[in-house]
Amino acid sequence: MRVLIIDPDEARAALVAQGLSGIEPLEVRRSAAFNQAESAAFGPDVVVIACDSPDRDTLESLRESNVDNPRPVVMFVDKSAPGLAEAAVSAGVAAYVVDGLQAGRVRPVLEVAMSRFELMQKLRTDLSKAQADLAARKDIERAKGLLMKERGIDEDAAFRVLRKLAMDTGRPLGAVAADLLAFAGVLKGGGA
Amino acid sequence: MTGLERNDLRLGFIALNDAAPLIVAKERGFFEAEGLRVDLAREASWANIRDKVAAGVLDGGHMLGPMTLAATMGVGGERTPMTVPLSLNLNGSAVTVSKGLADALRAIDPEGMSGHPKSARPLARLIEARRTAGDRPVTLAVVFPFSMHNYELRYWLAAAGIDPDRDIRMVVVPPPRMAEKLKAGEIDGFCVTAPWNALAVEDGDGEILIYASELWRVGPDKVFGVTRSWADDHPAALSAVIRALLKAAAWADASGNRAELAAMISAPPYVSAPETVVRQSLVGSPPYVKGTSGSSSLDYLIYHRYAASFPWKSHALWFLTQMLRWGQIGPEIDIRAVADAVYRPDLFRAAARELGEPAPLIDEKVEGGRAGPWVLSEATAPIDMAPDLFIDGRVFDPADPLAYAAGFEIGRFRPETV
Repeated sequence: MRVLIIDPDEARAALVAQGLSGIEPLEVRRSAAFNQAESAAFGPDVVVIACDSPDRDTLESLRESNVDNPRPVVMFVDKSAPGLAEAAVSAGVAAYVVDGLQAGRVRPVLEVAMSRFELMQKLRTDLSKAQADLAARKDIERAKGLLMKERGIDEDAAFRVLRKLAMDTGRPLGAVAADLLAFAGVLKGGGA
Repeated sequence: MTGLERNDLRLGFIALNDAAPLIVAKERGFFEAEGLRVDLAREASWANIRDKVAAGVLDGGHMLGPMTLAATMGVGGERTPMTVPLSLNLNGSAVTVSKGLADALRAIDPEGMSGHPKSARPLARLIEARRTAGDRPVTLAVVFPFSMHNYELRYWLAAAGIDPDRDIRMVVVPPPRMAEKLKAGEIDGFCVTAPWNALAVEDGDGEILIYASELWRVGPDKVFGVTRSWADDHPAALSAVIRALLKAAAWADASGNRAELAAMISAPPYVSAPETVVRQSLVGSPPYVKGTSGSSSLDYLIYHRYAASFPWKSHALWFLTQMLRWGQIGPEIDIRAVADAVYRPDLFRAAARELGEPAPLIDEKVEGGRAGPWVLSEATAPIDMAPDLFIDGRVFDPADPLAYAAGFEIGRFRPETV
């Protein structure tokens, strides 16, 4: 079975391709954008496409076979697994198959793609949260330093000031620290 | 606000000027005033909007009128009955070709390439000459199989004797890729909604041959759509959305607001194109050729005037005649029943009444045949209407859509073969 993965996100496409390696003999190609001539030369049985690729609408138009399009494709919907196509779209991926291909052979491909898309989403969320945490920790350290210097207090006292500010305003410690640094910048004439 | 089944909504849109009523309703607080908190999700494809709305990931959105009909019939995809309570615009698209093709058309038919509106006769001559010489066919792109763009381009080509299925290559290309594919020579021209025609002209890669408003003076295009089950389950919330969109459409259509509208919708979360280019299709009509100036008519893209927001059943029926004409659907489909099920002027009227806004009292009208401005008196208050001629002078009587669909010299619908 030949699978073409269309995804502007190269890392995610690689993850999907890797996940597919456990499935029956298949050949996988990856591309950031859909190119009809390249696709026709490859002759995929399944096209897995990221929903953030605008090329989905081009695939929608390939239901009719013609000279340029010898193998018409349709969006994969498995009648024996109601809701699968919807779940896939929710996960951000859709599959198009050569008309008539057995659902049982396509479903594992779509399921792998869905799980890898969800995994990538989780990795990205975790990464941006870790980055935000790190930035917040840096702001807190700098705000403590500023308080210690300006008020002549020790580190514990500076932390207590920040924590009280956070509790009084109901905002995260990192956000309070960032505000304090921004205000200090303005007071020093350094711009907001 | 109490009384709504839902206050938080997620609505999808595509980066185009005709998404404006949705954007304005959010930015100017019209949704909020109706008790709605709306998240606008920019989607990469029409298929995404269709499928996400069908799956309930989105509550509704900016849709191609014909796409809602196709989804309801289960043509070109899974069957999901849709409801259209409001149109988002009239006109707004154009046919643009590459500089190279425009030069070739001028060389072969200088007379046909002077003045406006242009017929596709120069293109017909060029296609013939290329066929004789054995050159590759002309390739033209539209944005979706079930779109006004597809039918309008085909209408224009066929009116000049070009069979779009035999004489040229028709492909589907997403709007943001149109300009790059035109520049790369992968396509020779396209039909797409603003601002992408103006962008190709501004970049110097394309020339506009004809505006949608020259092909059919007031042709339908995008609509606001939800699934029928969503409409049934959320009558009060849907009415609130219609009221907000109606106020937004009125705001967007006022000439004094058009420049501000351009600044608002060109921003990155929305259309994400240069403001100067987006503005060209809002404060008037974009230039046909770089270096010239466009006209000042605001009818290039209409949001509200001339009862533009009303979901005319004659618009739905016209789309369905074109689906028949080009073989997308067969004679077994009861197109009247489809139009009645999807387009819901009754929902529009109820919302308009609460706003004290005039609404037509008829569901459909004869399309075409009016050369001058006229007044729609079959309405809760008289409504000023625009001329509505088609380029070839044809008239669509919704009372007999099958005769109309069968009446084109170039077309696949021949009822006697049933």
